[in-house]
Amino acid sequence: MSVLGANLRRDLEIHRYPVLVYALVPVASLVLQAWLPRVLGRYAWVDLPLVVTVYFALGRRSPIQGTIMGAVIGLFEDALSQRAIGVNGIAKTVVGFLAASVGIRIDVENHLIRLFLNFLLSLLSSAICIFIYRVLLGLQYDWQWFTELFIAIGNSVVAIILFPLLDRLQMRE
Amino acid sequence: MESLFVRYRNLVVLLVLLVAQMIGLATQVRHSAEGRNTLDPRDQSGVRLIRLWANAVVSPPEEAVHFARMGAIDLWQNYVDLQGVRQQNAELEKTIGRLRLEQAELLQDAEQGQRLQALLGFQEHYIYKTVAAQVYGSGGSAQSHVFYIDKGSADGLRRDMAVVTANGIVGKVRDVFPRSAQVLAINDQTSGAGVILATTRIRGILRGNANGQLEVVGVLADERIKPGEKVLTAGGDLIFPRGLPVGEVAKVVPDPERDAFIDIMVEPAAHLDRLDEVLVITSMEPRFSQQEKQDEATSEALEGAQAAAIEQQQKAAQINAERLPNLIVPNLPPEQQPINESSNPAPMAQPPQPLHPDVFSPPAGTMETGAPAVDEEGRPIAPAAPKKSTPPAVGAAAPRSQPKSSKQRRNP
Repeated sequence: MSVLGANLRRDLEIHRYPVLVYALVPVASLVLQAWLPRVLGRYAWVDLPLVVTVYFALGRRSPIQGTIMGAVIGLFEDALSQRAIGVNGIAKTVVGFLAASVGIRIDVENHLIRLFLNFLLSLLSSAICIFIYRVLLGLQYDWQWFTELFIAIGNSVVAIILFPLLDRLQMRE
Repeated sequence: MESLFVRYRNLVVLLVLLVAQMIGLATQVRHSAEGRNTLDPRDQSGVRLIRLWANAVVSPPEEAVHFARMGAIDLWQNYVDLQGVRQQNAELEKTIGRLRLEQAELLQDAEQGQRLQALLGFQEHYIYKTVAAQVYGSGGSAQSHVFYIDKGSADGLRRDMAVVTANGIVGKVRDVFPRSAQVLAINDQTSGAGVILATTRIRGILRGNANGQLEVVGVLADERIKPGEKVLTAGGDLIFPRGLPVGEVAKVVPDPERDAFIDIMVEPAAHLDRLDEVLVITSMEPRFSQQEKQDEATSEALEGAQAAAIEQQQKAAQINAERLPNLIVPNLPPEQQPINESSNPAPMAQPPQPLHPDVFSPPAGTMETGAPAVDEEGRPIAPAAPKKSTPPAVGAAAPRSQPKSSKQRRNP
């Protein structure tokens, strides 16, 4: 029980990063996200800004910070596309909030949980985007369910690789 | 109240951000006259500002990544491909020289075509000025088919300019920043271009579908449409000039929403997923570069030399004609010119009588045509003089060989 308590306390540690990391990692994710389709074509089934949002929200364990980071990254992602600004912003705001809220309660160091969380949150993000386009805005918006599924799988795989790399950027006390 | 806010501050922040973004979204949507909601194609100042910020933050590192990659590729390719470059260069220079002259001739034809079109009141657009640009980034979303190029308003780019490659059309400029521009690819769902099928001449609207594939919509079912048929721009959208290649018909599928209509799936001519260099058509006015004008002048000079040679040949032919006898006499009225002479100048009046008639020769009296003229003693007389006799003019030829032939007949 004492071991569990120690683990619980360790899990509930708040990850801290240098300020530059907060700025550069999201920008790098946006740059790579914009660059990957040029290399992989339409098979770029990954949403790096979403993975980064989930990572920081889980690590910081602060719903407010997760929400704000999700909103900023989502708005920038919208601004780089030709679509309405705010769609990805809302989706990633919700994702950031939920990820941070979940991060308080469960052990997010477990790879399986990270994989599962990324998969679910990616699907949720896609669902929110489609809902906003087709229901809230009433715009014509065609989508393919398998594309969204592949993106969710891609995000999960990328998260498994990326999260340990980003963990190395933490500030150790 | 304060404790409530503190207690639910997470939710409050979430709600505030969500509501703010929803309000922002609502301002970007317009209700069209057809009763459909559409995204406002013109960004408002606030929206444009956010796009500008995002572009300013993301574009520099994106360009750096792109140019680093291109630099590495160029370095490798140039190092490996240097063998035989001199010989290739010499051959290419020869080709360029020949093509310049051909191009100058084509420019003359184009100018003439335009003049004729202007005379006919028919307006046609030609590509006369383009700006080459490098593609360095994309919109980054599976549903967003936009890409960024490294030329902007400082290079003369404006909104709605057509973007093409040597293979075919690519898209149109959607947003312009000082040093970069956002291009909406033709395979985006919000894109649209007027196209025509090359063989069947059927028109339609080209747009992208959810998979990023091209399709021509709004076409009535027609059995003549077959895979492989070329698709060209129709030129009616005032963005793409007419006749540019778009792609080929890949397959024809029935329109899921309308019975009598079909959707034509098009394989794009340009590699939309792997674009590196594109051309932005900045002007369709007839403007020619200095080099083109110089080439045209060279071509005209060459044509002038040819014309001079032809003129010399004509002059020589004229001199030869003056030296030779002709059928036109300057001193005579037209009706008396030898060329108009239809009568026989020396008709054979009478065949000569045989000196020793035999059983085979008919008697002279029985001959009707050209009956022999005999004198009182029955001897044949000389043939009659011609009805019209023209005095031989100086330098004029005698009427053709008829007198000679008649003489030959008279004196066999």
